[in-house]
Amino acid sequence: MALRLINSALRRQLAAQLPHNAQVGSVASVHTLDKIGKREVVGFGWNGTACYADRADYPMPAVRFREPNNEITALRTKEQGDWKKLSPQEIKALYRASFCQTIAEVQAGTGEWKMHLGIGLIFTAAAIWIAVLMNLFVYDELPVTFDEEHQKAQLKRMIDLEINPVTGLTSKWDYENNKWKN
Amino acid sequence: MLRTTAGKLATAMRGTLGVTSSRVGAVRCLHGTEESAEEFDKRYEKYFSREGIDGWEIRKGMNDLLGMDVVPSPKIIESGLRACRRVNDIALAIRWLEGCKDKCGDHKATLYPYLLEKITPTLKELGVPTIEELGYDKPELALKSVFDM
Repeated sequence: MALRLINSALRRQLAAQLPHNAQVGSVASVHTLDKIGKREVVGFGWNGTACYADRADYPMPAVRFREPNNEITALRTKEQGDWKKLSPQEIKALYRASFCQTIAEVQAGTGEWKMHLGIGLIFTAAAIWIAVLMNLFVYDELPVTFDEEHQKAQLKRMIDLEINPVTGLTSKWDYENNKWKN
Repeated sequence: MLRTTAGKLATAMRGTLGVTSSRVGAVRCLHGTEESAEEFDKRYEKYFSREGIDGWEIRKGMNDLLGMDVVPSPKIIESGLRACRRVNDIALAIRWLEGCKDKCGDHKATLYPYLLEKITPTLKELGVPTIEELGYDKPELALKSVFDM
């Protein structure tokens, strides 16, 4: 009984919501046609979706970039005639109605690498400064065993104990003449 | 039971074998007819110069060509331009020129002038300006970054 009540309530809720989202799940939304306005679909594009992107390896996208307005429609009528009568400005206007960027513009550098390099160097500098300051103010002095006298004593002890005599340190020590082998 | 299973298995295997051999034949045939460069050029020339070609098919042919590891030959470029003329789309013609120039890759200095020299008569005839005449060889406009909008 309770389940049935919940079920019917859910259905009523869904029915109330439906008119608002009629576009969602429709054929138009699947093919992104609800987003392109009055733009003309002129090609297949990517996966058959009516989307626009400027790409050098796939230069002709599925839709024209701009929606047709009076100006562009007039130009298109003029385009039907001799192209020699079109002025460079008109040709450019027609081009920009079909495409957003020229391929030269797509391939132009953005200069963004400078920002990335700069940020990288800022963090590197900060890391170096932190290391310097830690050494100055945080860490203790090095232990006494780090001076040369202690290091020599340690080496002598390792030779006396014959540490790693086959391939390692004392394999290079000549025990008969008490010097390093050549 | 065993005998029926074995019999079925044998038939199935014979079927697979038969299919395999015919498949090999088909594959060999495909490899046998390798398309020469001239045939390739002719095929695309024919494609673009077909009567009643529409903008959709032109774009499909151009996108296909510009996605391949080839520089379109002047003949193909010309027939592509004429196809653009037939569907009255000068923007597409200029985009096509740009795409062909881009396909020259590292050899723009040598290949592009050659292409341009070959297609100049057609460009003059149709009234299509070159990329340089329009100033589209260099970036003209800058796009605002989407992060600044």
